[in-house]
Amino acid sequence: MAVRSIIQSRSLATTSSAWIFALSSLVFFLALPFGRPGRAFLTIDPAFRPWNLDGPWLWLVPLMSVVALAAALLPLDSTRRGNILILTGTTGFVAGSGWLIATGVPFGLGAVFTLAALVVVGGYGLSLSGRVQGDPFIASSILFVALLIVLLIIYPLFTVLQTAVVIDGRFTFEKILATISGPRFLFLENPFTERSEFALAMSGIPVGAAAFLAWALFRRAALSRALLMVSGGGVAGLVVGVMLFGRGAIATSLLLAVIAATVSTVLGLAFALLGQRTRIAFVRRSMSAISLLPIITPPFILAFAMIFLLGRRGLLTHDMLGMSNSWIFGLPGVALAQILAFTPIAYLVIQGSVAGLNAALEEASVTLGASRWHTFRTITWPLLRPGLANAFLLSTIESFADFGNPLILGGDRNYLATEVFSAFAARFDPSEAAVYGVVLLIIVLLVFYAQSRWLGQSSFVTVTGKPSLGGFSPLPRALEVTLLVGFVLWAVAVIGLYASIVYGSFVQLWGVNSTLTLRHWRDLSNTGIPVFLYTARIAAISAVPAALLGFLIAYLVVRQNFWGRRFLEFGSMLSFATPGTVMGVAYILAFNTGPWLLTSSAVIIVLAFIFRNMPVAIRGGVAGLAQIDPSLEEASTTLGASTGRTLRLVLIPLLIIPLVAGLIFAFVRAMTAISQVIFVVSPGNMLTTVLLLGWVEQGQIGRAAAMGTLLIMTMLTVILLLMLLTRKRGLGSGEVVP
Amino acid sequence: MTLTQANEPAPVRLEGVTKRFGGDVVAVDALDLAIEPGSLVTLLGPSGCGKTTTLRMIAGLERASSGRILIDDQDVTRLPANLRDVTMVFQSYALFPHMNVFDNVAYGLRVARVSGADLARRVDEALEMVGMQGLERRSSAELSGGQQQRVALARALVMQPRVLLFDEPLSNLDAKLRRRVRQDIRDLQQRLGITSVYVTHDQEEALAISDVIVVMHQGQVQQTGSPFELYTRPVNRFVADFIGSASFLPGSYDGESVRVADYSFRHPQAVSAGEVSVMVRPEAVRVVLDGDEPDATSDATSDPDVDGAAGGGVADHEAVRSQAERSHESAPKVNGLEATVKSVGYLGLATDVVLETAVGELNASVTGEGRSELARGQEVRVVFRPAGIYLLPAAQGE
Repeated sequence: MAVRSIIQSRSLATTSSAWIFALSSLVFFLALPFGRPGRAFLTIDPAFRPWNLDGPWLWLVPLMSVVALAAALLPLDSTRRGNILILTGTTGFVAGSGWLIATGVPFGLGAVFTLAALVVVGGYGLSLSGRVQGDPFIASSILFVALLIVLLIIYPLFTVLQTAVVIDGRFTFEKILATISGPRFLFLENPFTERSEFALAMSGIPVGAAAFLAWALFRRAALSRALLMVSGGGVAGLVVGVMLFGRGAIATSLLLAVIAATVSTVLGLAFALLGQRTRIAFVRRSMSAISLLPIITPPFILAFAMIFLLGRRGLLTHDMLGMSNSWIFGLPGVALAQILAFTPIAYLVIQGSVAGLNAALEEASVTLGASRWHTFRTITWPLLRPGLANAFLLSTIESFADFGNPLILGGDRNYLATEVFSAFAARFDPSEAAVYGVVLLIIVLLVFYAQSRWLGQSSFVTVTGKPSLGGFSPLPRALEVTLLVGFVLWAVAVIGLYASIVYGSFVQLWGVNSTLTLRHWRDLSNTGIPVFLYTARIAAISAVPAALLGFLIAYLVVRQNFWGRRFLEFGSMLSFATPGTVMGVAYILAFNTGPWLLTSSAVIIVLAFIFRNMPVAIRGGVAGLAQIDPSLEEASTTLGASTGRTLRLVLIPLLIIPLVAGLIFAFVRAMTAISQVIFVVSPGNMLTTVLLLGWVEQGQIGRAAAMGTLLIMTMLTVILLLMLLTRKRGLGSGEVVP
Repeated sequence: MTLTQANEPAPVRLEGVTKRFGGDVVAVDALDLAIEPGSLVTLLGPSGCGKTTTLRMIAGLERASSGRILIDDQDVTRLPANLRDVTMVFQSYALFPHMNVFDNVAYGLRVARVSGADLARRVDEALEMVGMQGLERRSSAELSGGQQQRVALARALVMQPRVLLFDEPLSNLDAKLRRRVRQDIRDLQQRLGITSVYVTHDQEEALAISDVIVVMHQGQVQQTGSPFELYTRPVNRFVADFIGSASFLPGSYDGESVRVADYSFRHPQAVSAGEVSVMVRPEAVRVVLDGDEPDATSDATSDPDVDGAAGGGVADHEAVRSQAERSHESAPKVNGLEATVKSVGYLGLATDVVLETAVGELNASVTGEGRSELARGQEVRVVFRPAGIYLLPAAQGE
């Protein structure tokens, strides 16, 4: 009988458990300091207890807690109770955070816990009043996620924008104009050459116009159309001219992106074709190993290795070919490094399209009398096009955002991503860094927009690439041989690069003294290993919230329907799309002073990792949820379980594999990230990749090689463990690749 | 405590319940419904009629845009689903794939913090009721469709809900199993006396198990009534068409007899005189072969012997058996409606015949021996049996 009364009492609750959170907010407010004196996060300074602080309206916070407590305990009907809780939660939250913003006092522990408890009170209100369908857990989660996105993604980016246009408290476009008219941005006149770069770039106008005039005449276009084409040709000629001769950051980055994305896409297509259709089974199988490379490798490690092989003292260039020039320092080197790094990404994207090509379609076309070329043009190409476009755009974004390769191999050119860093760290000009950041962000968002506009959902779909049933149609012999030669060259290059890192860690001084030694590994134990362990710890700490938050967002976006859902999607997409350097400078600008002071601590690194890597978990969660019948959750709900229990008892057990995969990818990405965290590291909070990059720049290449080897081996082990785990549970390894 | 002594069955009331999706799509439109405690009410309608949305609003899985939902006279409109004493059997069964049969059934009890011997006993009882005892340790993936269905039912019953909801629970079973399981569900429901709401698009299923059927169309209730009422006295053409099948012929009514083309017959019904739409159930059509037609004086509806005597000319021998029922009907002076056989489909128990008349197409379900003589293109006459005739005002018959 006891059971029955419990079940019956479910619908007769006269108080709401919101009182726990209302009371907590009150206790936190009174027991903990609302602010803190400096950077140290866990200080409890009596001077910052609420009664020692200015601003009487800070006391609105506990007042609201008391009202909420009363509303939760008094017998009220749920709509009224909900409305009161919304009002008190919101007022208390606004008063508390408003006080922080108005006074600029860094938030203390009391503020964090009090405001969080008030958010939950507001969540209870939203749920009870029926404004959000779902229980308090859902409503509170929505509020928390939205606040985190605003505070840690939108607000920092907004600060970048603000820094670019507000100089010394005054709204102005001066800095923008000064920066984009400056030599580093577009035109860099090289005083050591006779020619004028500006004139060369401008000559693109007549060349382009002439070319299009010829085309117009050839096509016998009408006059108006011909004029349009000629002026269009002039503009196109100017763009190409600037790209080729401008030498400024935007011109260089654009040219680099075009080269790297084009070549990566072509190579990606070649490898995808080879992987699906070569007659040599060994090559087909080994192709999937390619997809591992970008996951286990820090983005700049190939550039570093290229110095070993192709640098001034490079094994290939100096020792074998006797050259002593340094052509890899500059655009060609960066482009080569990017191509090596992005080809696996392009391969992964295109592989899905190639696998989706049904040989029967091509056979059908041929039996209908079409020639091979016609078949390719009308059947194969249209089916491949979305994958190719996707790969091209993705490589373009990666190229613009890439920071490590240009930093190591950039030479005398400027690049947008590195300019953000050098403006900030070398020229100490945050406004200029912000302007570069805004330009970079706009370009990348435009490409992202184009991608989602043209390709719709396909950009967010996990690339699984289920091979279609039906006949295996091998490639034409000549094509296959050409592709195989290309693949072998690429594979030799990559293996050579990785091997040179390992080898480099065991020689005294690369290119000068080739005696084998363990010196670098011994050196590593002093400075390297502690940093490596610290990085691993920070990465592991951040991976858990990144995976959980990502899955929570995926759940909210996929399964719940609420006002502002698109904002959640957009916000989390934004953190994924924003180049790391922009996010890095954004974090420094937003969290260096004022109420949200976080810099020079491990906390800001953890937060950076969480919000940087969360989108990977979101995609894993979305893909996982798509495989689970929503009735399972509904069944759990009708059987009396709250959303929290449903998640714990039903969804998490069913999604444990993608969850673990998300966790591991968040960890791996954190271990290998560089572009964002280089801004937020501080003495005592050093990370492996930043240290490694510093060693490369200082010329401590042996020690850097040892660290790189350690990093790659660790990542490889982690990923192989994950693959073992997923295979054991009957999931294809392809499904866990982000 | 056994399950037969479970919670008192609760009445359910919906008052002006409306559900809008995305602002302008009205899935359920101002629905009023009163469900007696302990009865089984079926929401019946084509897909997209709002029946599942209504069910989900009762469960709390969707929230009504306006209106009130009362369970046991308590307003639960805004009560979250997990706090309502309502359980549901899902179309896909929704058994938790990572749990065995026992854990699936025990799930809700564990959430309600029942444990130990009490838990085991109640799970056992529930499994016994659905005939699944002994399979507790099976994983849900190892069960057949029918077994999964039973476990899902046990999982819902074990909670002793005030209201039990079924969302097309049989649609994933094959036809034979469907009949058996629906009878089992009905037996259990009657034995336990649980207020039940059952959603289906299968009218036969609805007729077989319901106390009350609610026919829905485009978010609105078309008619509420017992299966018999809905079949014999549909309020409009949609209901008549959806419950069983029917043909509609234009006619006129003078308060006593109906005239369809030049066929006139008596039909007492409280409907205003004038233009009417005559609903004709297929089994109400008797086909008289033209060449063998009895003389003009014969009354088709009152003189079955003539039919029989005409050398097997009347296709419907079964008519003989209902002679008494029909003899009270007085005869119109015309002996039937002229028709041409358009198609003939032999189904074993009956033969489906489509007839073309001067006023429209007519579907007939013909039994008896003479039906084998029917052929396409044949000229026949038809007369109607009163039990399958119902008059609708002309406007509703359109």
